[in-house]
Amino acid sequence: MIRFLKRINVYELVRPVGQMVLFSLGSAAFMSAIAISLALALDGTAVGASLMDKYNVSLYTYTMLNLPQVIIDGLTIGFVYAAIALGYTMVYGVLEFINFAHSEIFAVGAFVGVELLIALDGMGILAGASLGMAYAYLILAIILGMMAAGGLAVAVERVAYRPLRGASRLVPLISAIGVSFLLQDVIRLVESLTSGQFNRIMPTFGNFDSRIVFGKIAMGTSKLTLGISVKSIIVIGSAVLMLVGLNYLVNATRVGKAIRAVAQDRPTASLMGINVNRIISLTFLVGGLLGGAAGVLYALKFTRIDPFVGFFPGLKAFTAAVLGGIGNMTGALLGGIVLGMLETFAGSYMGVFTMGAAGSEYKDIFAFSILILVLIFRPQGLMGKHVMQKA
Amino acid sequence: MSLLEVDNIHSYYGQIHALKGISVEVNEGEIVTLIGSNGAGKSTILRTISGMMHPKKGMISFEGKDISKKEPHEIVTAGMVHVPEGRGIFPTLTVKENLEMGAFTVTDSRVIEERMEYGFSLFPRLKERIDQFGGTLSGGEQQMLAIARGLMMDPHLLMLDEPSMGLAPILVELIFDIIKDLNATRGTTILLVEQNALMALSIAHRGYVLQTGEITATDTAANLRNNEEVQKAYLGVS
Repeated sequence: MIRFLKRINVYELVRPVGQMVLFSLGSAAFMSAIAISLALALDGTAVGASLMDKYNVSLYTYTMLNLPQVIIDGLTIGFVYAAIALGYTMVYGVLEFINFAHSEIFAVGAFVGVELLIALDGMGILAGASLGMAYAYLILAIILGMMAAGGLAVAVERVAYRPLRGASRLVPLISAIGVSFLLQDVIRLVESLTSGQFNRIMPTFGNFDSRIVFGKIAMGTSKLTLGISVKSIIVIGSAVLMLVGLNYLVNATRVGKAIRAVAQDRPTASLMGINVNRIISLTFLVGGLLGGAAGVLYALKFTRIDPFVGFFPGLKAFTAAVLGGIGNMTGALLGGIVLGMLETFAGSYMGVFTMGAAGSEYKDIFAFSILILVLIFRPQGLMGKHVMQKA
Repeated sequence: MSLLEVDNIHSYYGQIHALKGISVEVNEGEIVTLIGSNGAGKSTILRTISGMMHPKKGMISFEGKDISKKEPHEIVTAGMVHVPEGRGIFPTLTVKENLEMGAFTVTDSRVIEERMEYGFSLFPRLKERIDQFGGTLSGGEQQMLAIARGLMMDPHLLMLDEPSMGLAPILVELIFDIIKDLNATRGTTILLVEQNALMALSIAHRGYVLQTGEITATDTAANLRNNEEVQKAYLGVS
């Protein structure tokens, strides 16, 4: 036992946690600074006046009051993006190919998890479940979603990508887009045959919707509430666990070394006795597992899913992967957190800052402007494109 | 029975007929060299033997077993190691990790340790660089690493593709001394592809001369060195 413990590479467990804390605090501080300075600048203008008129609160106070919730929401969605982005980036790192079907892998994970919970709810099991059992069911849903998505990712690679290996780079990309449409329609078909409706709602159970309040701080006439919903803790906590696990797998295990070797030089890796096809399958499996878990977590956070639920999160996670540097795992983590934070800040404050002219429905503009800007000015991404290397 | 028997193989790159009926035999304990100019098909022979490409026709047997349809990772475990052209060092794995990759299919960590120490005894320079990324090594160090990594499998047959490429003459000599030594002291059988024909023939027992995918001559190394055609074409003797 002690010998086993000694072989654990503690550094590789601590390092990613450190990175997450750093990226979270950094992006939160950066975005808060922008929001607060904008609020201060606009407070004396018509923007501040109109808010004062309507709600009798200054723009600065309003911004500060919302800040904790915005940061937590940003982190929550950021970690979901990061978990999806890692699926894109790992596959890209190994095959230099963007798996555009990954968004539907995510959707399938969400559907499998939610359908399981709906079925349990229908049997009346969820309603009477104790808190411990509620968590057990949620974990079961996450694991089932992961398994479905992971298995599907491996199958898609085997059927739709492997036969095209060696073809020009555009060919598997087109195949991926085809698979993406196909999977959307398969989800629709299955849902219309079974439940008869496309919109599925995550059942409410356990204490996931309650909030933990740490305290209140007086701000003028209002009070700033410091709290976090249980859901957000679950989403962030599970994502952190998965990301640490993935980092450990890739950087501190024998299989991880093989993944990195295949990413760097596939022919030579095969000469080392590595079964390259198996490693590629494994990469898709790991990406699918993460994507599936992210799907269930996404459903937990946003409650409603439909067959196209994967499209936007998928595209944004892809943007996050490009922003961080596609092929770079640390980059995907950074990109996910930054993008989630940026989008949530934009969604929460843009309406007030523009006097309602541009509301939160425009928040996607930010994500995709980033994609375009990064592709033009820094195509290698923030962390560079060193493929699957140790940071 | 010879250790490796390549019998009349034909290989293609798409439509290009790269190997037109090649037969090569390597016996236990020999150093055999394939010489020939650029594009003659020397590397293609090694790639076909190690399973990186598959022959359209012909047969390859290693230790009496047909390996012509096997994948590279299966052939490695049979005891044949191919050190590829351009060395194939993993740039962002450390020297140690590169060596560990060489013994990927070995699970006994003590064996891995021993072999790594043996590699360091051949190339002490590698030990100094143990935690450096492979991509930061000089060309000579990378070649040392490639050979040391090849030895991590303790192969019966070691196939080396252009180990002298891009190296300073003094390093070429060092590398060739070690190849010769491996063969003499450990009995490792070696199949050597070289552009530096003079050097290759100086340590080999036998050789094959290749030209555009065909073997034009085969003989003992000593005889090839004295062969007028070979001298003219490859040894720079006019």
